[in-house]
This record gives sequence, structure tokens and C-alpha cells, in this order.
Amino acid sequence: MLPHLDRKLLRDLKRLKGQAAAVSLVMACGLAMLIMARSLIHSLDSTRAEYYQTNHFAEIFASLKRAPNDLAARIAALPGVATVQTGLAVPVTLDLPGIAEPAGGLVRSLPDFGAPELNRLFLRRGGWLTPGSRGEVLVGESFAVANDLNPGDTFTMLLNGRRQTFRIAGIVLSPEYIFESRPGAALPDKRTYGIFWMPYKEVATAWDLYGAFNHVVLTLAPGAAAKPVIAELDRLLRPYGGLGSYGRKDHPSHIRVSDEIRVLTILSIGFPSIFLSVAAFMTNAVISRLLSLQREQIAILKAFGFTNRQIVTHYLKFAFVMVAGGVLFGLLGGLVLGQQLVIMYELFFKFPDLAFRLDGTAVAIALTVGLGAVTLGVFSSVRKAARLPPAEAMRPEPPASYRPAYLERLGLKRLLSHSFRIAVRNLERRPMQALFTVAGLALATALLILPNTFKAGIVEILDFKWDVVQRQDINLGLVEPSSARIIHELAQLPGVTSLEPSRFAAVRIHFQGRSRQIGLRSLLPGAMHSRAVDSANREIAPPTDGLIVSAKLASVLGAKVGDLVVVEALEGRRPVKSLPLVGLAEDFTGITAYMELHAINRFLGEGDVITGASLGLDLSKRAEFLAALKEIPRVSSIAIKETLRKSFRETTAQMMGLIQSIYLFFSVVVAFGVIYNNARISLAERARELATLRVVGMTQREVGAILVIELVILAVLAVPLGLVCGTGFATVIVSSVNTETVRVPLVFTSYTYSFAIAVVVTASVFSALVVLRKLKQLDLIATLKAPE
Amino acid sequence: MNTAARSPAALATNGTPVFHVRGLTKVYGTGTAEVRALAGVDLDLHAGELVVLLGPSGSGKTTLLNQLGGLDIPTAGTLRYRDIDLTHATEEQLTHYRRESVGFIFQFYNLIPSLTARENVGLITEIARDPLTPEAALQMVGLAPRLDHFPAQLSGGEQQRVAIARAIAKRPAVLLCDEPTGALDVKTGIVVLEAIQRANRELGTLTVIITHNAIMADMADRVIRFSDGRVQSEQRNAAPAAPSTLLW
Repeated sequence: MLPHLDRKLLRDLKRLKGQAAAVSLVMACGLAMLIMARSLIHSLDSTRAEYYQTNHFAEIFASLKRAPNDLAARIAALPGVATVQTGLAVPVTLDLPGIAEPAGGLVRSLPDFGAPELNRLFLRRGGWLTPGSRGEVLVGESFAVANDLNPGDTFTMLLNGRRQTFRIAGIVLSPEYIFESRPGAALPDKRTYGIFWMPYKEVATAWDLYGAFNHVVLTLAPGAAAKPVIAELDRLLRPYGGLGSYGRKDHPSHIRVSDEIRVLTILSIGFPSIFLSVAAFMTNAVISRLLSLQREQIAILKAFGFTNRQIVTHYLKFAFVMVAGGVLFGLLGGLVLGQQLVIMYELFFKFPDLAFRLDGTAVAIALTVGLGAVTLGVFSSVRKAARLPPAEAMRPEPPASYRPAYLERLGLKRLLSHSFRIAVRNLERRPMQALFTVAGLALATALLILPNTFKAGIVEILDFKWDVVQRQDINLGLVEPSSARIIHELAQLPGVTSLEPSRFAAVRIHFQGRSRQIGLRSLLPGAMHSRAVDSANREIAPPTDGLIVSAKLASVLGAKVGDLVVVEALEGRRPVKSLPLVGLAEDFTGITAYMELHAINRFLGEGDVITGASLGLDLSKRAEFLAALKEIPRVSSIAIKETLRKSFRETTAQMMGLIQSIYLFFSVVVAFGVIYNNARISLAERARELATLRVVGMTQREVGAILVIELVILAVLAVPLGLVCGTGFATVIVSSVNTETVRVPLVFTSYTYSFAIAVVVTASVFSALVVLRKLKQLDLIATLKAPE
Repeated sequence: MNTAARSPAALATNGTPVFHVRGLTKVYGTGTAEVRALAGVDLDLHAGELVVLLGPSGSGKTTLLNQLGGLDIPTAGTLRYRDIDLTHATEEQLTHYRRESVGFIFQFYNLIPSLTARENVGLITEIARDPLTPEAALQMVGLAPRLDHFPAQLSGGEQQRVAIARAIAKRPAVLLCDEPTGALDVKTGIVVLEAIQRANRELGTLTVIITHNAIMADMADRVIRFSDGRVQSEQRNAAPAAPSTLLW
């Protein structure tokens, strides 16, 4: 049979189920978020690490023009190198029946016999290439799924200008392409860009590269550092047109996953810690206020001979039930949400098996934080009650000391009604309690700001930034640098309304020991299409001599406007030049440097050449345009802005949107929890006083006014504070979430603030209504009895 | 206190009673848990009377006071306050009744701790139709010098006198006191009873004091003994005693 003290516990819990549930729920939100985010990090991190290890992901990567295969032995002999694997990587154009625009991709070579040493593939469906066969290809899963290609299907590729039909042997994944995207593009375009694997012999024959390689990857010997190996490798590859080697941390696919983990890490610290502090605040407040209502009961227990320890244990149990509820729901919520998000991650990260893995540490942290918060609350308040001699505690508590409120002392006394005076003095008498409530309310308000700020930032990118930075409809890329004369040919295509030439070059940019491999893009003075804009969306005019870089790149390098940065071209004659940094562009994806078109050509020592063009298009002629474009063999890639925008909307935006929706939901729950609990406790603490007022003839409305005034005063103090805090949190978190891959602009809209206010007001009105309804049930006769 | 100063009207027991109670029954619970707190009370209470309702604890006297004060609805029987049928009143009518006609004095004072003595009284005079000023009410209970003290700064007796001032400030027709001296020592209790008696005499308020303390019976115009939920006996005092002469 249950001990009697535990029965009391159960009945107390039943009586206070609303408040206990509110505390559990708020705690559950914080814990769910913590568990969700930490588990996602754990899932991504450990899955990636295992994938890398199982499939022998390389550690250093380099591209070059062409080198004889026997150079591999010299690379292998470099100090610190463990395994070397050379191969070919060549661009292809695709001819897919279902796709109007030119599709492209990258063909990677595989050893003619046997599995590759490094970057091994994972076979998802179908089979491996038949050794010695021709006309077979393995296709990366993203592209295959987007185009509904299956093993056994055939499709046509233009290999070095020659049309050839291939049969799909299998659908594969590669640790090199966890994130599959066109080089330099921040966003995946799964439909028109794919990765293909073919036997070395077939690729080499088609491109006339037999006996040579243009891509090399390697792993490091145990304990070897990447940096010296990269330097040596660069030195070795330079005569062969090396484009600069890089380690894993600069590997595009690796960066994407790491960036995602970084975002999650920041979210998993910032957000849950705010939630948990609100939950701790609330738990503490609820418990200490509940206990002060149980003062007499504690005295009676003591009078009967219960020890302080037994009493503390009793109330700890009470608190632990709330924690247990919180942890249980938090765990469930974290599991369910985490699993949903993992499914979303599969949209743009390709792992053989990305399963949700619960992070045990997160659960332990959750439990510790939850228990800690309530234990603290119980100890501080039970100790106070337990310290009283029983006889003292059994006597009704003497009337609390009050004094005129500050407002009255200012001489405003005449303006204040009795209800208002009661409310104000009550708040002033317990400033700490009022402060805690205001803090809790303010935090709850603040929490409501962040998710909508994120969402507003994404909307800003999609609806505004995108069109400010890129006003063209289409970007074309050419197979190789061409004379500007091609512009005239492109301008003749049907539907083209405007056209601007562009120049792109791979460069490495250095500043004080830091460097990044990036794309250098051209700008035209007075351009109507691609532009660099500053933080106020004003165009930065391209200087004739000097560099504009993404603001993010400048911060990564630690450079500021006026500094001289070193730009090293990774193609052509590979010039190196110091250039002044003249402007910072607020672009939102990737990191890029911009120069005036002719300045790029001067820097590269090339004549009047271009590598692509941007076009404005009459969209009604889109189909004709794309059909005509297919006839121009020199066009290697096409990026349609709307397609990219759609892709962004469906991946990054959807992902962030989903996470933010979850957070928003949690924030709303917390706001309701805090406000509701506060109103209920106020009612419980003052039941006797309010019942007396009812007995002496005040109406429910008049008595309700006292509680409502108090609630309103607290809300009026807390909401502006919360809005300010929320703006601060959002600024810190949104800016720290910004990565080299994607940056969410900081956009504070009136909607964001009105939403927060509306939620707080709704929660307050709801709580006020509950309290007013409870006032009806107030036991008037109890006023005649001794105070409990 | 000089009883000769009392108005003859206050002592009149004929004419229309303020309260007309017949067969009043209050039952709590049902079935085996049924408790008959009031088992058919017949009673008339008249204007200006000071009535002491005497009974042991559990006799049902507090239940009766609750019915008289409009805090509770009887199960059966007749309960009329002047023209108002309290047995069938709505919540709103009961609130109005308490607000206009009844002054309560509780055993544990039930002051609002965040309001001063003056404000505790003012709270009620604000909503009453023809009130005394808070100062006058507090003057009547001898608390003029402590107008701006908060309850925490007053002794138990003083707090109870503020409660009396609060109850009488609206010039109620009825003053209901539940063990008004229950939480006080003898000396303080006498001061409180004097205040109640004075209010009864000067304002002509029908005053009902319920107590289990038989000594208080001597100060009443009429003593009603109560037990087992019924009136057992009634006794009229020809010369009610002053509280200071009561022997505890």
C-alpha cells in the first residue's frame, strides 16, 4: 500500500494538475529541442565519420590540367602521404528527353579493374560496372532520383562533343558527394546536374587523356599534418596546371555538412538554454509558491515527528514528478522531431544510411538540468518552511508587511483605485517574485522573436535579395574561355531581351596566412544583371583596379576595406597580384570575389575573353530558347534563376523553415505556460483575500480586476523588455548561424513583433479568463475559517 | 455603556422582522455521507437587536450565519430578508445583497494586507450607497490615530476593530459576527465587543454574534441557544450587560 505521505503527494498533484502540466510542458519543450538538436548533430557527425572511414574518404584533393600517370609515384613519395589515387574528372553535357534546358554533369573515372583505393562508392541499386565493358555508367543517386533513372535505363551524354548512349549499371553514392552540387553553386540543382562514374579507359579515350590524370586525391600518414602536404603537392602539380589542392575542411560537400552541424550546434546551445532557463525559473517559482501555501501542513508534519529530511524528500518527489513528465515528453518530442528532421536532411544530404541516433549525453544533460532546476527550487523553499518551529508555523502567517507603492509616493495616490493599489503594492512587496515573473514573461516573449526573424530572413532572400543581386533570368557557362564575339551569337537566340558577358576564374585569395579557394566573378560598370550590393542594398560600383569580396569572405580572412589581399589565379598563366579590398558585398550564398570584367582579363593576362553570359529572357519563349541553346555546343552549363530559387525554397528554406516552425510552436507553448502558471499561482496565493472581498460585497468582476491589473502590469513591463531581449538573441543567433554556405539576413519585421505581442496578449487573455472562471468557484465560506 | 440611551425602536420585537426564517434546512452530501447541518430552524430577527447565537462547535450556527449572510443557499425552508427571498436568489442578487445590506466580521479579521486601515474601509465605502466616511467608521471603533497603518503594523485587536469599521462603514442593516473574539485575548476581546455593541446602538444595526462562549450571552438583547441544527431555546435579557462587565 502506498504510504500516506505519497497519497498526499498524488492528491496534491491532482489538485495542481494544470500548473504541474504547464511546468512539465515548458521543460519538455526545452528538453525536446536540446535532445533533437544534439541528436541530429550526433547523427550527422557519426554517420559522416563512419561513411568516411568505411568508404576511405580522401583527406587532400587536387585538380590539374593534365599530368602523366607516373607522377603518382612522386606524389606518393611526398613526406606525410599514405595513399594516392589519381583519376579523371571531366565535364559532360547531357541530352535528356524530359528536360528542355541543357543538363550537365561531371564524369569521374574508376579504375578499369577492381575498386578504387579511396573515395569508394556505395552501391544503392543495380550493379557495379562490368569489368572491361563499354557503354556502362554509374549514376549518383540525387540526379537519378530527380530524373527517374533506374538501373538498365539508357541515356545520352555528349562526351567531348561526341554523342554516346550509356546504360545505367547502378545507382551509387559517394563520400565526395554527400552534397551534390555544381561546382561553385551554393545550391543543388539535382535535375540538371549529375555525377557519373565510368571506367578510366573509356573516359581517357574520349578526352584523349590516356596515360594521364587531371584529378588526384590522397590520404595522410598517421600523424601527418595537411598543410605541408598541400604545399608540397601544389609545388609538384604547378607545372601540370594544378588548380590548387585543398584539405577536407575546404571540400565543398564536407563544408556543407559541417556548416549544417555548425548551425545545429549553435541552435542546440542558444535556444534550449533559453528554454531551460525559463523552465527552471518557472519550476522554481511554482514550487516555492506552492510550498509557502503548504506552510501549515509542513508544520503539522513536523509536529507529528517527521524529520526535515522526510519533508524535503516528500516535496522533492512532488517536483520530480514534474521533471519526470518533462523529461519523458521532452524525450518523446525530441525523438519524433529528430526523426522528422532526419527525413528532411535526406533531401539534400546523401548518406548510405542516415538514421536518427539518440544522443545519450543530451538525455543526461536534459535530466541533470531538469532535476537541478527543481531541486534548487525545492531546497530553498522547503528549508525556509522546515526551519520554523512547528507551533509557529501552525499559527496563521501574520499579515504580510506592505507599504505605499512607489507610484503613490510620487503623489499619484489620488489617481489610483483600490484595486490598482492592491495590485501595485502586492507586486512591490515581493520585488524578487515580480522580477522572476517579469523575467520569465520577457524570456517567453523573446523566444517568439527568433523563429520569425529566421523566417523573415529566408523570405527576404527568396523574394528580395535574390532579385537585387541577380536581375538576370539565366546564367550560361561556356566550355572554355571564348572570344566576346560569342555574345552576338547568344543575343540572336529567341526570347533574349538583354545580355551581359561574364568572366569566371578559379582563384585562391590570401590574407595574413589565411586563404580560401573561391570563384572570381566579373562585374560590369552600370550592369543590369549581376551586381554587388552593400548592406543597404546599394550597388557597389566595380572599381577598375581592386577587389570586392563577400562580407563573409572578408570576415573569414580577417581583412577589411583598404587592406591589400593577394589573389592567386589557379588557371592560365597563374598570375599572382596584390589587390586592394575596395568593397564588401552582402551576398547570401557562398563566398565570392568580384572584379570588373576587363580588370579580370588584365589580371589573368588574357585578351578580351568571357566564360559565360547572363541573360534576360522573355519567359513566354523559354521553350524555344532552350531548344535553340542545345544547338550551341560551347555552352556547358545553364543556371535558371527560378529553378535555383525553387531548389533553395525546397531545401535550405524548407529545412530552416521546419526547424523554425518547431521552435515557434515551442515558444508559443512556453509563453502560454509561463503566463498561465503565473495567473493560477496568484489566484491560489490570494484565494482567501479575494474570497473576503467577494463576501463583503464586491462583484466577481471587481475582484477579478485586481488579478487582471496585476497580470497587465507584469505583461506591460515584460513585453517591451522581451522584445528588446528577443531582438538581441535573434541578432546573436542569426548572425552566428551565418556560414560560408548561406547567410540569413537579419530582418526584423513588424509582423515578427506583432506576432510576439499577439501571442502574449492571447495567452494573457486566456489565462485571465481561466482565472476569472476559477474566481466563480472561490469558496466564500472558507473565509470564515482559519487561514490554511 | 448606558442601555437607557438606546432607542425604543431598536428593542421592538413586534412588527415586520428583518429576517424571517421557517423550517430552514441545510443538507451537505448525499446518501450515507449526508450531514444535516440545519434541521428546520424557525427564527425571526428584528431591526436593532443584538442577538447572541450560542452553541457548541458543530451545532450548525456557522451554517446558519452563512445562510443569513447570503454566502450559501439553503436546501429547504423559508429564508426572507425583508422582501428578498434568499432561498431562491441568484449569485448576482446575493452579491448585491451582501454589498448593500450585510456587514461581516470574521474570526480571523480577513483584512486586505496590502491596504491601510483607512483603505480597507475605503474599499467598501467606495462601492456602498450611503456610507460613513472611512475616518468616521474608524473613529467609531477608536482607531482614529491609526488610520494609515497597514494590517501588519496593527495588533490582533486593532485588526479586528478595522474589520468592524469596514463592516459598519456602509451602514449595513445587518452585522454578522462569527466568533469575533475567537482569536483574541480577554482584554482585547472586550474592546472589540464594545466596538460591536457601540455600532449596534449608534447605528441601530441588527447584530448577530455567533459564539460558543456563554459569557457573551449577558451582553445580548436576546440569546438563542443552538444545537443539533435547531434552535433549542430563546432568552431575552431585560438589561444587557456592558462588555467590560463580562466575567471571563
